[in-house]
Amino acid sequence: MEQKPDIVEILRRTQEGEYCDLKEWDVKRIPRTVRAMLKKYNLQGVCDKQSPVNLDMELADTFYKAGFELALELGMLCEATERIVRVSEEELSSALKFAPSELTLGFGKDARVMKARTPEDPYPCMFGASLGITVTEEVYSLLTEGIARQLEVDFLEGGSLATVNGLDVLPGTPSETLLGYVQGRKHREIRKAAGRVGMPGIGNISAVTEFGQFCYGTEGNFYNTDLSLILFPSELKINYQTLHKVVHTLAMDGLVFAGSPAMIGGMPGPAEGAVLSCIACALLQYPILQRSVGGGEIYDIRYMSNVNREGLWALSMTHQALSRNTNILTHGIANEVSGPGTAAFLYEILVGVAIIAASGASFSTGPRAAGGKLTDYLSPLECRFCAEVAHAASGWELSKVKEMAEHFLPKYEAAIKDPDVGKPVKEVWDLENFKPLPEAEAVYRQVKKEAIDFGFPLDEY
Amino acid sequence: MEKKEFLDALMAAVVDGEEEDSAAAAQAALDAGLDPLTLVNEAIQKPLEKVGKDFENGDCYLPELILVGDAARAASDVIMPHISAEDMAGSLQGKVVIGVVSGDLHDIGKNIVAAFLAAQGLKVVDLGTDVSPKEFVETVVRENAEYLIISTLLSTSRPFYRQIVQLLEARNKRTETFVLVGGGPVTPKWAAEIGADGYGRDAKDAVDLCRLLSDMVQKPPLSEPILVNALS
Repeated sequence: MEQKPDIVEILRRTQEGEYCDLKEWDVKRIPRTVRAMLKKYNLQGVCDKQSPVNLDMELADTFYKAGFELALELGMLCEATERIVRVSEEELSSALKFAPSELTLGFGKDARVMKARTPEDPYPCMFGASLGITVTEEVYSLLTEGIARQLEVDFLEGGSLATVNGLDVLPGTPSETLLGYVQGRKHREIRKAAGRVGMPGIGNISAVTEFGQFCYGTEGNFYNTDLSLILFPSELKINYQTLHKVVHTLAMDGLVFAGSPAMIGGMPGPAEGAVLSCIACALLQYPILQRSVGGGEIYDIRYMSNVNREGLWALSMTHQALSRNTNILTHGIANEVSGPGTAAFLYEILVGVAIIAASGASFSTGPRAAGGKLTDYLSPLECRFCAEVAHAASGWELSKVKEMAEHFLPKYEAAIKDPDVGKPVKEVWDLENFKPLPEAEAVYRQVKKEAIDFGFPLDEY
Repeated sequence: MEKKEFLDALMAAVVDGEEEDSAAAAQAALDAGLDPLTLVNEAIQKPLEKVGKDFENGDCYLPELILVGDAARAASDVIMPHISAEDMAGSLQGKVVIGVVSGDLHDIGKNIVAAFLAAQGLKVVDLGTDVSPKEFVETVVRENAEYLIISTLLSTSRPFYRQIVQLLEARNKRTETFVLVGGGPVTPKWAAEIGADGYGRDAKDAVDLCRLLSDMVQKPPLSEPILVNALS
């Protein structure tokens, strides 16, 4: 019999759970509990800071066990009420058992099937592009259509809009509600214009609060066969904005795609602690946020990235642990720091996305061009490259991925703290004709050739 | 108890991040006749510098940084009234209001900045996350703060920065408060556009900015923002 708590029960627990002050949660409860769990399972210091990929599957299984126990011990804190929402072992196990292990998203010939995978699984890791990099209204439609036209890209997300008809969008105000509806409509039109009307989408990346999300599943906007993106703060915290979005998505009979990165160097401490927190967070979202897809995002706060060695190790460990021990549809992001038109950006994608895919993630989204900091620094060419890498790495042996990572890391890692942010879209991509500009294309061809020469099974451009 | 033991007890309490113990140890050291400036320099500043370096090197993590910062602040609150004005030269003084703007609940970057600033002797009023322009400005007015630091990780929350600056002007506080901005989607160009006085990428930049501004004769608003370690 299914024991998973429903959303009504979860809302009740946000009112009645154990009280915990937010600061106590952040600086005491999380670090102390994580530290104790690392000690209990003898996981302190097991991260080899020079090795970007874990190859010890027993160790990955131990991380899973510790992460599962951490999930039960901690639960998630509701920031609005400062109450801890906990689930029992039976509820958590049941939620994971009944979580979807395969989903058809989108519709018609453009639909994609996302499956639970395992490390080195030949079934392709799906790829969605891009992340929510701010783009101007001037370029939004053509840029997003350019991404949708890349047939390798499985899911369409697109950048974030910060204005609507020239008006600054202020989260939580009617301008955000308006933006949601405008972007939802545009998103449909763009997919149609790209000839991929049934391409699965992710919406709504511009929704900071619930107001921007109310468009999801409504007439003329994001379909309920698209993923409903619901981001929430780390570590292991939810709030009423998050739950508003969940309630709305469920009411639309839609699909919750939730995520929150665990932070290396943050409240859970070292890479090992962040992996545990990430696993716990991935698991808890199934009963608490009624999630269909997601879990497995992890960053290093010292770099606000994860394409450094420790970040990559943590990504590999997290996805191996989750994919070997559950049938859930996990999600990983490679957080690049370099920008469009640079070789470093492509190397970061190659290493980061390949590790995520080979470690067993079901789904990846990206890229985080220029660290996601600069307006209009995003191009369809790198979105295409991400998807090509995700597909090519699916089925590749982890040991080979590790060799490739070790080969390409020296080409960019020294510049992670001071990256080349590249160029805005108009300087690397022909928006009207949906093709890269020659200089950017040459860089892309060169890096791709290097990867192919290394033995990575990419198709020629 | 020897004088050195009082000093060691205070340092231990700060290193352990124990707020109440730090305040008590500071008071005990003062009562025992230890020089207040020595206490600050030896038992507070040194552990703070060490924890800051350890954090940058990945040898300690955010919770320790925050707890040590809090403990240092608690000890400083006890000691600082006993330090003469001339002895205070060199350490940063004044009040900072800091927070993450409306719509954004990401607080890690802001927490690091707040901890670093407190470590330098500034009194930090941390408003937390999802702070409305009105709350920012009312706090600046109430606290008579010299610095206002605004942060966000979300590009979609960025427009609130402009509103805060405008509201500060409307409340006639802009000429008394330096506005410093940072956060993932914030650029030097944006800082200039909204009329901020300074832009920084991280906690160290924030400290450098406050130090630069505290030494300046010019009053806010500056004609263009000071950029520390700027990303183009």
